[in-house]
Amino acid sequence: MAALTLYNYELDESCYKVRLGLSMLGLTWETIAVDVFPGKEQTTPAFLAMNPAGRLPILKDSHLVLSGTEAILAHLAKTHDATGKWLPESGAAFALVMQWLNFSARDLDATIAARQHSLFDAPGDETALRAASAKALRVMDDHMTARGFEGADWFVGSGATIADIALFPAFALSRDFGIDHDEYPALRRWARKFRTIKGFMTMPGIPDYH
Amino acid sequence: MTTGNMWQPVSLSHSIETATSAGTRLSGEDLVVWRDNSGIAHVWEDRCPHRGMRLSFGFVRGDHIACLYHGWQYDTGGQCQYIPAHPDLEVPKTIKVPVYLTEERAGMIWTTLAADAGPLTVPADETGTVPVQSLYVDCSADAVIAVLESMTLAPFSAGRDAETTISAVNPSLYAVSSGQDRLLIGIQTITDERTALHVVISGLPEVYEGGGQAHFLSWALDLRYRIENPPKKTFAVSSRAVAEVL
Repeated sequence: MAALTLYNYELDESCYKVRLGLSMLGLTWETIAVDVFPGKEQTTPAFLAMNPAGRLPILKDSHLVLSGTEAILAHLAKTHDATGKWLPESGAAFALVMQWLNFSARDLDATIAARQHSLFDAPGDETALRAASAKALRVMDDHMTARGFEGADWFVGSGATIADIALFPAFALSRDFGIDHDEYPALRRWARKFRTIKGFMTMPGIPDYH
Repeated sequence: MTTGNMWQPVSLSHSIETATSAGTRLSGEDLVVWRDNSGIAHVWEDRCPHRGMRLSFGFVRGDHIACLYHGWQYDTGGQCQYIPAHPDLEVPKTIKVPVYLTEERAGMIWTTLAADAGPLTVPADETGTVPVQSLYVDCSADAVIAVLESMTLAPFSAGRDAETTISAVNPSLYAVSSGQDRLLIGIQTITDERTALHVVISGLPEVYEGGGQAHFLSWALDLRYRIENPPKKTFAVSSRAVAEVL
């Protein structure tokens, strides 16, 4: 068994974040497919034993069983990236990556709920979820507009970090829940740059051609 | 007023990089704005004649834009030139995307839905422009302009507090000046209830890039806040009147 095992659902954007992280860090991993829709396999006892919250992704790293997308990304960067560039050590850069990981986990939750509602008929107030999603994406676009004036390409610092990985899927998949890319020019620019990172991969809903 | 027949800006030039595309709307009409490899901007109907897919989802290769669905490629005149599923087919001339007049002026990409619109009356920039931001708000162009006209602008360039002057260059372009600084704000009627403001600095990049852009971005975000949060109507009640009632 490989050291790294990802319990994965191909259509889940949170699993996609971890796949991106594993791939961009140049790691090899084993994937175990989980029947999330319609099987809800992630809520069965074997999975609840690994993550009582009943959600994917779950990453096994030798004896460590880890859930929570942002925690998994931070763990991968901290322990499997010798360059240290994906999770900068220095005070401000480290803190800002954490800030955006927090934004990803909290504010972008609306985009996950909106997409779940749109694709899998999960319960939710479509209008409210879409408004909250658009608001969060605008926060990101405003930030990247200002970053552009500093000559910076990434959310934090001078290179891509796990913050960029955590934030990318919500924007790249926004058409799944009815938000076009039209009104986010700074995010379009950033996403094009993101796609050029070595190890980038798409998922269903993100075109190979662009 | 059919505002779509006027010249209006549909994007900052800066926002459409070479060999990229984006969608937008003008008076409710779906448009694709794209830039070919030689740097020329195009504005078309955002619809592939094949299956109706939005061309703004597509991709630019050389001087062609290709539809994401089946890769049909269109040249800069909107004419379909290549259908990958039928590589040997000479594509019929009837497969053509409607194209709109397009100009780049004042750091913005302009178009009009009218085929016979007069010339675009935006003066050529002698000093160039520096992009700030496009703002998208849920209200009419008239409401946006009313707020815009109430704004004051703190200058970036050295100088004492300067007076803000605001004037219409044409119905879709406003100039906001303060001291030596001048912003140009293009107004795009997306629908009757949604409006875009395209904000640029009129001036030299070496003066305004970086700090100047950040300075005027703050102003633009303040403008957007005021448009989205109009002051609530308040009722002034004097304490004496309250005392008399009590």
